[in-house]
Amino acid sequence: MSDSQSDADYFQEVVTEIELEARRRAATGEYPRELLRSLDEEFRRWIPDASLENGIEDTIRGIEAASYVDAAVPLESRSPVGSFTKWVVRRLTYFYHRHMAQQITALGIHITRPLRLIDASLKDINRRLSLVEDQLDVSAAARSELIASVSHLSASEGIEEILVKHFRGVSGRVLLGDLFEPSALNFLQNQGVDIYGVTPSGEAATAVDIQQAELIEHLDHLDNNALAGFILCGITDRGSLNEQLRALRLLLLRSRAGARAAIVVSKPEVLSSQLGPVAADLLQGRPLHSETWCYLLSRENASDITVSESSDSAFCLITATLP
Amino acid sequence: MTTVHQLVPTISPRDAVGNHTLALRKILRELGCESEIFSMFRHKDLMADTHYVDELPGDTDVVIYQFSIGSPVADRWAQHPALKVANYHNITPMSLVGKWDGLLAAEVQLGRDQMARYAKLCDHAICDSDFNRSELDALGYKSTETIPVLFDSLNTRSDRGTLAKLERDRRGTQVLFVGRIAPNKAHHDLVAAVRTLREVHNDDAHLHFVGTDGPPSYRSTLNGIINHAGMRDHVTFHGSVSQEQLVSHYMAADVFCCLSDHEGFCVPVIEAMNHDLPVIAFSCTAVGETVGSGGLLLAEKSPLLVASAIHRVSNDGALAQRLRQAGRQRAKNFESGITQEKFRRQISNLILESL
Repeated sequence: MSDSQSDADYFQEVVTEIELEARRRAATGEYPRELLRSLDEEFRRWIPDASLENGIEDTIRGIEAASYVDAAVPLESRSPVGSFTKWVVRRLTYFYHRHMAQQITALGIHITRPLRLIDASLKDINRRLSLVEDQLDVSAAARSELIASVSHLSASEGIEEILVKHFRGVSGRVLLGDLFEPSALNFLQNQGVDIYGVTPSGEAATAVDIQQAELIEHLDHLDNNALAGFILCGITDRGSLNEQLRALRLLLLRSRAGARAAIVVSKPEVLSSQLGPVAADLLQGRPLHSETWCYLLSRENASDITVSESSDSAFCLITATLP
Repeated sequence: MTTVHQLVPTISPRDAVGNHTLALRKILRELGCESEIFSMFRHKDLMADTHYVDELPGDTDVVIYQFSIGSPVADRWAQHPALKVANYHNITPMSLVGKWDGLLAAEVQLGRDQMARYAKLCDHAICDSDFNRSELDALGYKSTETIPVLFDSLNTRSDRGTLAKLERDRRGTQVLFVGRIAPNKAHHDLVAAVRTLREVHNDDAHLHFVGTDGPPSYRSTLNGIINHAGMRDHVTFHGSVSQEQLVSHYMAADVFCCLSDHEGFCVPVIEAMNHDLPVIAFSCTAVGETVGSGGLLLAEKSPLLVASAIHRVSNDGALAQRLRQAGRQRAKNFESGITQEKFRRQISNLILESL
């Protein structure tokens, strides 16, 4: 075996050991997951999102800068004679160069004006496109009808006791969202849980502890480590896959170490039997199976992941403790 | 006398392609060829030594185009009647730069387009790495081969002042990366890794970035991340430095860490190896083949994994020593004498072909 092959094999062994060590640290909670999530979030926040628009803008600025032609030719030379000669030539030809330079500069301006118009027009088209994007979704109306018929989490589903047990003794605020009717919130408050609700529905925002807002928008404005726990529901049945994952990601980011997590989700098979094959097709990705939520939580090194069913077997409750 | 001229979009010193082009001209002249460099944008220090692209003679025997970005210079090369040789240094994919720098995105897009268009026109292509070569092969280039980029192995002395300052300020592990501050070099991943190293391993580590500024939007993003991570006092941007200062950085650091998402070769990896600096790198694009058996290659770059790797290297003396030895051994493969000889042989063949 050559030296380099032996080195390569040894280094590969070391890398394997390092990977195992990293996994061990992750499993024992030494991994600063919260910090890294927040760095990811920060990176997302800073990435320019209108790349093409910026590119066109930059390009036009570049053309504008380059189209200014300086008629004063540099005089630097390796010898004084060369420098003097250049000075003489510049003096003698300045009227000519200035005339040419002015025309080229004018040409540049005439080129960039229509470019600026095109840029403005493109930006306007982009804005309009983003506005009509939802309307172009031909099944949006059907979907919203189907989503409207999905029943909401209520305190009568036989899961309150588990929630109370899970959040008992938690010190700090617990978020419940999306909330569509306040009975579950009231029940937990009566049991001493410091809980507040977030609802997109104006009708449901009936108490001081219920804020009317989109869950993701609310989470976007929350500080990191603000939550001692959360109950994620509503969006788990109604939101798109991306919205559900984004909500979970933000909740993890806003939760402090050791926070309690609960996710309430309709059983997909129950929902599709209620709503039929049309819903199964058009509401693809909602709701996710309880196994998927367990996987997502275990990926974040959550512990004590437990799945319970509501008394009518329509809902699943997944509870866990965050690292 | 055979004329073998080079065309390059931009020529400047302290730039990998610029240094390579100058070194190749030296070889060509040593071979007895008449050889000049023609470029559209010439650094002021190289004005007297290079020519504007329009001055390229029509009766040249061989024209070598240094291919690393899109440029109208490529069209001059494509239209020239001489034997056409491309020296391909790779072009960063648009997906990695588009969000950060619109102008650069347009240039790389043009470059990729030209690369595809000129596949049939190019008589022979010399690539820095097998990774680069595989890209041209996939486009149907009829004759390709791999010869590493020509670079100075920094046999210069260190800058004492810089070295003394770096030594004076050192506390924990000193992590170094050399490269332009650009999104494809993933400086942000290094910040996350060193932040994790500090927290998980209680290491008062410091991250040193050497290299010129790239897209301003990326730099401001990086500054935002550094501030958010509380790393302002633990990351230093040294900017573009002299050869002597660069040697000081290699000498003062404990680990060279490269987490780039795209590299066509990665000269700093070999420079680090040449200066007995253990190398840890994320194995992607051409990085894996450049590092070879001379460093620790990671298949992924999660901050915890990178932090664990840095921690292991900085705390395991035997491993660090073996990495130094293996690195030095690996760097020998890229010694300028060996690469120069490969170029000499290949250029001689090409000259024979052109006659």
